[in-house]
Amino acid sequence: MRVFWKRHQLLNHLLLLLGVAFLALPLWLVFASSTHDPGTLIREGMQLGFGGKFQETYYGVLTEKKGFTEQVTAATMMLNSLILGLGFALGKIVVSMTAAYAIVYFRFPLGGALFWVIFTTLLLPLEVRIIPSYKVVADLGMLNSYSGLIIPLIASATGTFYFRQFFRSVPDELLEAAKLDGAGPWKFFIDILLPLSRTMMAALFIIMFVVGWNQYLWPLLMTTDESYNTIVLGIKSVMQNIDGNRLPEYNRGFALAILALVPPVCIVVFFQRWFIKGLLESDK
Amino acid sequence: MKFKSLMTSALLGASLVLTPSAWGATEIQWWHAMEGALGETVNKIAKDFNASQSEYQLTPVYKGGYEDTMTAGIAAFRAKQQPHIIQIFDAGAATIINAKGAVYPVQDLLSKHGVGFDANNYISGVRSFYADSTGKMVGMPFNSSTPVMYYNKNAFQKAGLTLPPATWEDFEMRVAPALKAAGYVPMAQSHSPWIFSENFHSRHNLPMATNNNGFGGLETKILYNNPAMVTHWSKMKQWQDQGFYKYYGRAWGDNQAAFVNEEVAIWFGSSGSFGGLKNSAKFPFGTTYLPYWHGVTSKPTNTFIGGAALFTMSGHSDAEYKGVAKFFEFLTKPDVQFFWHRETGYVAITNAAYELAQREGYYKENPDAEVGILQLNLPGGEHSKGYQLGFYVQVREVMYEEYDKLFSGKQDAKTALANIEEGANKLLVKFARTYK
Amino acid sequence: MKRVTFSHSPIPYLFVLPQIAIIAVFFLWPSAEAIRLSFFLEDPWGLSNEFVWFENYQTIFEDPEYVGTLIATLIFSLSVTFLSLGLAMLLAVQVDGLLRGGGTYRPLITWAYAIAPAVAGLVARFLFSPQIGPIYAWLNPEGQPPWFEPNLDSIDAWVVVTSGAVWRQVSVNFIYLLAGLQSIPRAVLEASRIDNPSGLGRFWSVTFPLLAPTLFFLMVINFSYAFFETFAIIDTVFPFGPPSGAASLVYKVYVDGFKGADLGGSSAQSVVLMLFVLALTVVQFRYLEKKIHY
Repeated sequence: MRVFWKRHQLLNHLLLLLGVAFLALPLWLVFASSTHDPGTLIREGMQLGFGGKFQETYYGVLTEKKGFTEQVTAATMMLNSLILGLGFALGKIVVSMTAAYAIVYFRFPLGGALFWVIFTTLLLPLEVRIIPSYKVVADLGMLNSYSGLIIPLIASATGTFYFRQFFRSVPDELLEAAKLDGAGPWKFFIDILLPLSRTMMAALFIIMFVVGWNQYLWPLLMTTDESYNTIVLGIKSVMQNIDGNRLPEYNRGFALAILALVPPVCIVVFFQRWFIKGLLESDK
Repeated sequence: MKFKSLMTSALLGASLVLTPSAWGATEIQWWHAMEGALGETVNKIAKDFNASQSEYQLTPVYKGGYEDTMTAGIAAFRAKQQPHIIQIFDAGAATIINAKGAVYPVQDLLSKHGVGFDANNYISGVRSFYADSTGKMVGMPFNSSTPVMYYNKNAFQKAGLTLPPATWEDFEMRVAPALKAAGYVPMAQSHSPWIFSENFHSRHNLPMATNNNGFGGLETKILYNNPAMVTHWSKMKQWQDQGFYKYYGRAWGDNQAAFVNEEVAIWFGSSGSFGGLKNSAKFPFGTTYLPYWHGVTSKPTNTFIGGAALFTMSGHSDAEYKGVAKFFEFLTKPDVQFFWHRETGYVAITNAAYELAQREGYYKENPDAEVGILQLNLPGGEHSKGYQLGFYVQVREVMYEEYDKLFSGKQDAKTALANIEEGANKLLVKFARTYK
Repeated sequence: MKRVTFSHSPIPYLFVLPQIAIIAVFFLWPSAEAIRLSFFLEDPWGLSNEFVWFENYQTIFEDPEYVGTLIATLIFSLSVTFLSLGLAMLLAVQVDGLLRGGGTYRPLITWAYAIAPAVAGLVARFLFSPQIGPIYAWLNPEGQPPWFEPNLDSIDAWVVVTSGAVWRQVSVNFIYLLAGLQSIPRAVLEASRIDNPSGLGRFWSVTFPLLAPTLFFLMVINFSYAFFETFAIIDTVFPFGPPSGAASLVYKVYVDGFKGADLGGSSAQSVVLMLFVLALTVVQFRYLEKKIHY
């Protein structure tokens, strides 16, 4: 009996299946419910099975144009999320890599001081300074713009420390050899360091894309023009409509949630290996 | 490929030239908080205005809920990018009316640009709310509603009742027990501050705050902790325990849904709610005035408006203000007002529009739509003109907090109201200092 | 620091400039503004202000709601930390202990990392919704007076918010814990089998201490996540505000500053939060450095 248990490890599998269900079942309910019409949902609650309205709801949500300029659809919002995710990830990588390079490979006056300045940003997450950040962005006239959406989010040093760790693990011999060959700092960076860092860049890109896509508080604060809404924010406006004087359109809200979820989940699953590597590397 | 891109740019260029703004039409930005179907009605009105003349191009922009819109306006003003027209709600009225450098009173605007302005054109319940301490109208009332009572006629029939309660005593003694026996929760309501605090005072002609409910100036104190309120809220808690009243939480929709689901037989909502109810309620319902305590007053007075008004922001050119004035003129035309009233359920704010609706027989088909206006037009008292209190959004937060605690059994009504008064007065003092 | 470096080059200044510029404008300036505003009573339109020393801070600490919110946020953060770590540990141990099939489970659990906290909040909200939520219906059977009311009772409200937060956070912890478990050399585990034939005993005496640095790191991450980053969850579960007693500190800053237009008060609250974070980070670095170097 003991051997049976051990070989088949039924208890392990059972617990794991429960865990997987715990994670997946709520989303399944949301997805299945999104394919029903609101009346069913109100009468019977959330559904486990499909309701045959998949095409109608999703097509409607993706293409129905709202707003005075009639341009804001779920597709627009997903595009905004994409821009935010890509812009944030790219921006973070460029800015952090260059800053980390400067800190690790150079001795220059101010270097130490700048390192500490960068370090302090780790201490104060955006949530803690949201109102004054908003004020600053407003004063600069950057509200309702992609740059205002992306750039302030880059102000934290997580990426810089990530690359700093990595660069410090690169053997000194490489640099010595390069110097012997007469390579200057720029050449070293482009020809040697960048290729080496490819995997790390990919990993960080994936993580930061997900982080950027999933942003809520900052876009909420600084976009009041609905054409800049990200899909994550779009969920909030649908939910607010639900609480207004109309028939609650739960199905649309759920559809938006699923749309908000699918791209980051796909990326995390397909690029699993890189993404996990990136997470684990950044914990130092 | 090149030809294609040439054509595209040519077309784009052409479309730019052909749009009215390229002809030199002055652009006017209007920021509003009307979501969903309401927003579409706003868009229609703007489109109609644009089509009626070619000098000005009005662009409405939805900025989110009332608070978000106000915050957006504030941020824009600080960044010197403020819109021409902004919709500010009742709780934010004090914030903008006292910002003398930021707002251009609508009365001055209209007089200066040759559009007639007579406060008596507006129905009485609406006139005074958005005025400053001298009585000058600063904001133009736009979407106004007032709290009313909806009741499920089927439920009443089942309970053997014909008439809805006129007084709270009537509710307690006759209506609620019968409804409860028939298997319903007798009552729910969707906004404790607006319906059951502010308009409670108005209906009973009790002062909400000193200094003429805040209109007289900034040195104001709130007067919520009074015997009538203590009685009323103690009763609310008692009714909750007895099963006569159920509190479904802060969200408006949750309390309304209970009525639509026929779990609750009487619901207190807004005069504008009947449109949505007509679509979603599968039972006949009636609309009538808010009840009052006969023990407090034998002469109940009018309620006042909730909703929002349109304010003009300072810092724009005379030419642009002329456009704003023209738009306001357009907006207050009886047929435009009637259209807005019909489509949204908000009350018609001018007497002319009200009369037009009556002439068109609108109220014969939709008697529910008239209840709000009728209640607003009831004989008024000195304390039923509305209020103007600073930081009122946060005062309402305090109220929600304390009422939450009352309904979850953590404190009694007397303590709740004392806390509300204390918290509110602290906020009012702070406001007065901030705006000196 | 690196022993081998470049010298005499303008490159470092150029390279570090973007990061520093962004930090200066979007981090240092706002933080300085927050500190400055916290000492003023300024009207939201920027038309007038008055220097009031520490009055805003005094108001905060005299406000019983603030202290209550602080305590509630602390309790919430601790619950989220322990629950999500506990669940993740359970799952990680199972996967690690599998002889076959462990690889299939990993993606089935790690995908949840991609869930936005806002989406987690939405899911939690509707699962517990009095109108359509299956969990609500299960907890409050028909015919009996409902006892679980997240819209009314602050503890019930926190349960909903905690569920959303934990649901989302389990996979993050899982990734780290699994990696940590799998990095323990098999030889060590085999050797300990002699002293500890019981699996559970082995876990507590051998595995757990070896995982300690990872666990500590995760505790700090989870705690900061729950303390600071769950605004999205609260706002999506309760778009009109949580019932009394169920707001977090960050949520309060948002409500007072953004909805109430009280710049001085919310700036003071922000500064207090900043000091909190500083304290937390100092603690983290002190202990983390110590533990890592064994």
